Amino acid sequence: MERMSDETPRIGVFICHCGINIGGVVNVPEVVEYAKTLPNVVYGEENLYTCSSEGLSKIKEGIQKHNLNRVIVASCTPRTHEPLFRATCEEAGLNKYLFEMANIRDQCSWVHMGDHEAATEKAKDLMRMAVAKAGLLRPQEETEIDVAPSALVIGGGVAGMTAALCLANQGLSVHIVEKEHEMGGMLRYLHRLYPTMQNAPEVMDQLVNAVNSNKNIEILTSSVVKEVKGFIGNFEVTVQKGNGKTVNLGIGTIIVATGATNFEPFGMYGYKEYDNVITQLQLEQLLKSERLQNMKNVVMIQCVGSRQEGRSYCSRICCMTALKNSVLIKELYPDADIYVLYRDLQTYGKEYEEYYREVQKKDVEFIKYLPEKPPEISPGQNGKLNVNVYHSLIGEQVEIMADLVVLSTPLIQHEDAKDLSQKLKVPLGPNRFFLEAHVKLRPVDFATDGIYVCGCAHWPVDVGESISQAYGAASRASIPMAIKKLRTEAITAVVDEDICSGCGLCELTCPFKAILIEETEKGRKAKVIAASCKGCGACGAGCPQMAITMQHFTDEQLLAQVIALAEAIP
Amino acid sequence: MILLTEDSSVLVIGGGVAGIQASLDLADRGFRVYLVEETPSIGGRMAQLDKTFPTLDCSICILAPKMIECFRHPNITLLTYSEVKDVSGSVGKFAVKIIRKPRFVDETKCTGCGTCTQKCPVVEPSEFDVLLGDRKAIYMPFPQAVPRIATIDKDNCLYFTRAVCKICQKLCQADAVDFEQKPQEITLNVSAIIVATGFDLLNPSVINEYGYQRYKNVITSLEFERLANASGPTGGHVTRLSDGRIPDKVAFIQCVGSRGLGRGVSYCSSACCMYATKEAILIKEHEPDSEVFIFYIDLRASGKGFQDFIDRAKENWGIQYIRGRPGEILEDPRTKDLIIFCEHTVSREVRELRVDMVVLCPAFVPKESNKKLSENLKIRLDEYGFFKNEDSMLAPVDTNVPGVFICGCCQGPKDIPESVAEASGAAARAVEVIALTARKEAQ
Amino acid sequence: MTIQEKFEPDILGFLCNWCSYAGADLAGVSRFQYPPNVRIIRVMCSARVDSTIILEALIRGLDGVMVLGCHLGDCHYITGNYYTKRRMKTTKNVLEKTGVSPERLLIDWVSAAEGERFATLVTEFTERIRKLGPLGKETDLKPQQLRTRLVAAKEALAQERIRWLVGKEGELVEDKNVFGEKVSQEEFDQLLFQTIEKEFAKRRILLSMGEDALSVKEIAQRVEASPREVLRNMISLEQDGIVSVVGIEENSPKYRRVGE
Repeated sequence: MERMSDETPRIGVFICHCGINIGGVVNVPEVVEYAKTLPNVVYGEENLYTCSSEGLSKIKEGIQKHNLNRVIVASCTPRTHEPLFRATCEEAGLNKYLFEMANIRDQCSWVHMGDHEAATEKAKDLMRMAVAKAGLLRPQEETEIDVAPSALVIGGGVAGMTAALCLANQGLSVHIVEKEHEMGGMLRYLHRLYPTMQNAPEVMDQLVNAVNSNKNIEILTSSVVKEVKGFIGNFEVTVQKGNGKTVNLGIGTIIVATGATNFEPFGMYGYKEYDNVITQLQLEQLLKSERLQNMKNVVMIQCVGSRQEGRSYCSRICCMTALKNSVLIKELYPDADIYVLYRDLQTYGKEYEEYYREVQKKDVEFIKYLPEKPPEISPGQNGKLNVNVYHSLIGEQVEIMADLVVLSTPLIQHEDAKDLSQKLKVPLGPNRFFLEAHVKLRPVDFATDGIYVCGCAHWPVDVGESISQAYGAASRASIPMAIKKLRTEAITAVVDEDICSGCGLCELTCPFKAILIEETEKGRKAKVIAASCKGCGACGAGCPQMAITMQHFTDEQLLAQVIALAEAIP
Repeated sequence: MILLTEDSSVLVIGGGVAGIQASLDLADRGFRVYLVEETPSIGGRMAQLDKTFPTLDCSICILAPKMIECFRHPNITLLTYSEVKDVSGSVGKFAVKIIRKPRFVDETKCTGCGTCTQKCPVVEPSEFDVLLGDRKAIYMPFPQAVPRIATIDKDNCLYFTRAVCKICQKLCQADAVDFEQKPQEITLNVSAIIVATGFDLLNPSVINEYGYQRYKNVITSLEFERLANASGPTGGHVTRLSDGRIPDKVAFIQCVGSRGLGRGVSYCSSACCMYATKEAILIKEHEPDSEVFIFYIDLRASGKGFQDFIDRAKENWGIQYIRGRPGEILEDPRTKDLIIFCEHTVSREVRELRVDMVVLCPAFVPKESNKKLSENLKIRLDEYGFFKNEDSMLAPVDTNVPGVFICGCCQGPKDIPESVAEASGAAARAVEVIALTARKEAQ
Repeated sequence: MTIQEKFEPDILGFLCNWCSYAGADLAGVSRFQYPPNVRIIRVMCSARVDSTIILEALIRGLDGVMVLGCHLGDCHYITGNYYTKRRMKTTKNVLEKTGVSPERLLIDWVSAAEGERFATLVTEFTERIRKLGPLGKETDLKPQQLRTRLVAAKEALAQERIRWLVGKEGELVEDKNVFGEKVSQEEFDQLLFQTIEKEFAKRRILLSMGEDALSVKEIAQRVEASPREVLRNMISLEQDGIVSVVGIEENSPKYRRVGE
C-alpha cells in the first residue's frame, strides 16, 4: 500500500535524545515544539532512542495514525542509520525515499558540548533545512533489469579458460572469443612452469579439454570482438569469426583476459645481431623442443627493456622465469655455468624465496648490476660473447665468455588493446595495461559495471596468479548473472530532452559510462543508463544547459535547504 | 536462482578485507553467509593501517563502506567476538559449532551511542592500537568499528574483578549492559567454508641486535601505522615514544626476520618493500625536511604501479635506499637516538648512521590459532604454519578438504589487491564446488 | 558602556557522503569541538555542488561557504572531485569580480579518517570569516549594489560558455583539443578568466538594463564601465540574441532585453 505522496506533504518529525548524547546538550522538547511550527509539519514527537525497536514502532505508528507522507528523524548520522529508518518507512507503506534525516548528534550535540544554547539553535536550523527538503522529496523506485545469463570471455589463455570453466560449472553459459586459431595463449609457448615444474602443455591440454567438453562453453577461435553495445546485463556483442561471418551475442557480463605479449629487445645487448643472444621465451622454445645445445657458460640478463626510461615497471615474472630456466639448463647440462645478472631479485612471497635458495645451491651465480652500469656485450672468440659487467656486491668488473646470452624481457600490452578498450569503453592505464576500478579494493572490476579483467591483460603475473585472478573475476562476473535481475540505483540522473542540446559534456564527465549521447527523433540527446548511474551528480552540476536533474538531490531541494537556512539570517 | 536451496549457506572465518570481500560476493549471489570474527569488530589489519600503497588512499576510508555493507547486507550474519569450536561433516553439509563469547552487552539493545565508554574508569592498553594507545574496560575497538556495539573486557572490568562500579549499566539508557551474559553455542549448517584469518607480525625481539622492546624508539611498522593514523594514539603525529618529539631522521629496516636462515622465517613477506616506501613518504609529507633511509636487500616492487611508486619516493621525496642488512643497532642512552651499523653492499662502506627513530619491517607470520583451526577443519598447514593450498598454481584457494577454501594472508604473505582478488576467487570456487556437489548428488 | 555585539558568521558547508561528511561524523565520535556557526548540507559527491547554489547562498546572506570533498585521487566516484576543483576555481574567480573576498569560499579535501582535521578546519575558517566580517564588508558597496553583483555572478555561472569551458578543461589540458593540440594550464586559465570577466560584465549590464531601452552611454553609466567595453559586450549579447537594437538616439543605438 503506497501512501499518496503527490498530495500536500504531511511531515512527521521524530527527534531523538540518544540517551543523554543529544538530550544532554540540545533542548529536545524545544526543538520538537519548534518543528511543529514549520510548514507542512503535522506531527512531532521525541524519543529516547529512535533507532531502538520501540522507537521504530513509534515511527510506524506515527505514519499510520497521522497519515504521514514524509518522515524526518533528527538524530545521528544518515551514514549509519538512514538505511534502517528508510526500511522502517517502507514497512509502514511509505516509499523509503520520502525520508530525511537531520544530524543533530555527530555534527551538533557531540561537537558543541560547551554551548547548549548554540547547539539547540543549530538543531533548529538543521530541522528547518530538513523540513524544507522533505517537502520537496519525491518517491523513487529502483528498477529491475534482466541480466542475460551468458558471459563473454575475451581471450582463451589460462586466465580466460579458468574463468570460463568456473562460470560454466556454476551452470552459466559462456562464450570464449580467441583471436588465434587455437586456445592456450602464452601457455602454448611455455615448457615448464615454476615453482613446481609442471609441464605447460599438460596444464594447457587439461584446460583446453575441459573447456572443449563443457557443454556450457562455446568456443570461437580465430574470432575477434567487432562491436559492443549496451550495458551490464544487456550487452550486445558482435563477434567476427574466422570465416568472415559475424554473430551477435546477448551477453550479461564480460571478462577481459587477453593476456600480454613479450617485448623484443631490438638493439639491446646484441639481440638479433648475434645468434646466441635470445630472449627467455625463445629459450623456453629451445628447451621445449629439445634443441638447446650443450654449452659451458650461460649469462642471463634481467630487466632488459624494463625498469628504465619509457618502460619503468618491473615485469614481475622474469626473475623466477630465469631461475626456473637455469634449473632446466642445469638438469640438461650439469656442467654448465650459469650467471644471472640482476638488479633486484623478485623472488617474493612464501615459495619463491625458497626456490631462490635452492637455485643458489645448484651453483647458479648471481651478479647484481647497477642500472647506471649495465652489462656490455661484445663479440668474443669462436662465436662466444664477451659479457662485461660491474659486480656491484664485490666492487669489481667481471668478464664472462658466454656461449649463450638470455635476455629477460618484460611482458607488454598487445597492440590491439587500445582498439578493444575503445570498443568496451574501458580505460587503459599506465603502460597501457587495462585499468581497474580501484587499485586496492576492486582489482578485477572495471568502473564500467559488468566488465571485469584478469591475468596479464591487467598486469604481468605468472600462471598461478592468473588463475587466482581468473577465479576472482569469475566470482564478480557471476553475481549479476546468477541472480538474473539487477536492481538499479533509484537515485539517478534524469535528462530533460527538451532542454538537452546533445553537447556531450556529460558523457565526457561520467566515469561509469552511465550517460551517453544517442540519436533520437529530437536529435542528439543525452540518455541515462539507470543500470550504471551512481547518482553522484557530476554530470548535473556541469551541464551547460542545466538540463539534468539529480534525483533526491535536486537543485530545487538543495536550494530549499539553503533558503531555509538563510531564513534565520537578518 | 541456480543454487539457492535451504542449505546454500557459507561460513567465512575471519573478518578482515579478504573475509569481507568473500562474504559480499557470496551474499550478493544470494547465499546466506555467516561471517565469524574473533575480535569485537570486523576490519582486520587493513583497518589498522593509515594509508595504502601505491595510491596513498586512507585505508579505513575505503574499507569502512564495505564493512557497513557487510553489516547491512540481508544475507550476511555477522558473528563478531566469536570463535569456531568444532567442525564436522563434508562439503554440502558441514556442521560448525560457534562459540559466541559474552560481550556482557545486549546486541539487540545497544545503540552504540558510546556513553558507557566515555564514563568507564578503567584504562587499558588497546589491542587495536598495538598497545600504544588506550581503551576502557568497556570499549569499542576503534571509532569505525562494525558492529557498533560495546564489549566488556572481563579481565579488567571492576565489576568482574572487584564487584564494584557498574557505572556503564547505570548510565546506559537502553538498558543494554548485561553482566549475566553467558557464552552462547550455536550450530551452523553450511555448504562450504572459507578461511580468511589473516596474519600476525613476527615479534622482532628475536632479532635482538635491533633492540626492539629494549630501545623505545625502535618500533614496528604496524606501530608506525597506528602513530600515523589520525584516529590513533597520537592523533596522526608520528612521534618518538621516548620523548614525543617528531623525528628528523628515520630509518626503515627491511626483512627483519624474513629471508633468514635460523632466526625468523626463510620466506619473503612480499609487501614490506612497498609499505616501507609508503610509510617513508608519509614521514616526508609531514616533515619535508626530514631524512628517511630504507635499508633493503632486494627491492620488491613488481606489482601494478609499484616501481613508479618507488621511483617517485627516490626522486620526488628524496628517500634514500641503502642496500645492506644492518648488523647492529645501539642506543644513545642520553638522547635515546639510535645508531645503526651497516655495511652498504653496493658502495661497500661500513657506516654508522645516527637516527631518531627506527622502524622495523618484521616478517608476516601465521597466526597461532591456525594450528587449532587446521585441526578442526582437518586442513593442512605448510612448513611455516600457514594454511596450505592444494596446488599453488592450479588450485590456489582449494585445500585438501573439498568445500574448505583459504584466501588472503592466512595462506601466505601478500598485499591487499591480491587478498581481495583471492577472496573473490575463493567465493567463486565455493560456489562452483557447491554446484558440482549438488549436481553429483542429484545424479 | 555599549555592549558590542560580536559578529557571529553564518557558514554553510557542502560535505560529500563518503569522505568529508564521514570525517565530520568522526570529529563528533571523537568529540573534537568546533564553533557552532556551520550548518552542513550532505551531498553524495562534492561534484554535485553547482556553482550557482554557492552564489545563491551568498546572495541570501551566508558569510562563508565550505565545499569539502575527498582527497584528490580518492573520490568514491573516481573523478568527481577533480570536477569540483575546477568548478570551484571558476567560482572563486567570479566571486573576486564581484568584490567579495574569494576567501569566503573554502575548498578543501577531508578524508573519512580526518576527524580532528575537520574540526580544526572549521574552527580556522570560522575565525577567518569572523575577521573578514559580514558578507560584503570588504567592499564598499551598498547592500543593493552587492546583491546585484552577486546575482550577476550567479547568472554568469549559469551561462553555457563558462560551464562548457570548465567541463572541457580536463580533456583540453590533459589530453588534447580537436586539432590534436595540448593546451597548457596557463593558456587555459587565461582563456577561462577572460571568459568569466566577459560573462560577468554582460550579466551586470543585463541586470542594470531592467526593462528599459538604453544607449551604450547610459548603460556605461549604470555599470560604471567604459562605453567601449560596454559596446563590445552589447554586440556579443546581440549575437546571443539576448538584446536587440530597438531604436537610434543621436547616432547611438538603443538596446533592450529581448531573449531569455
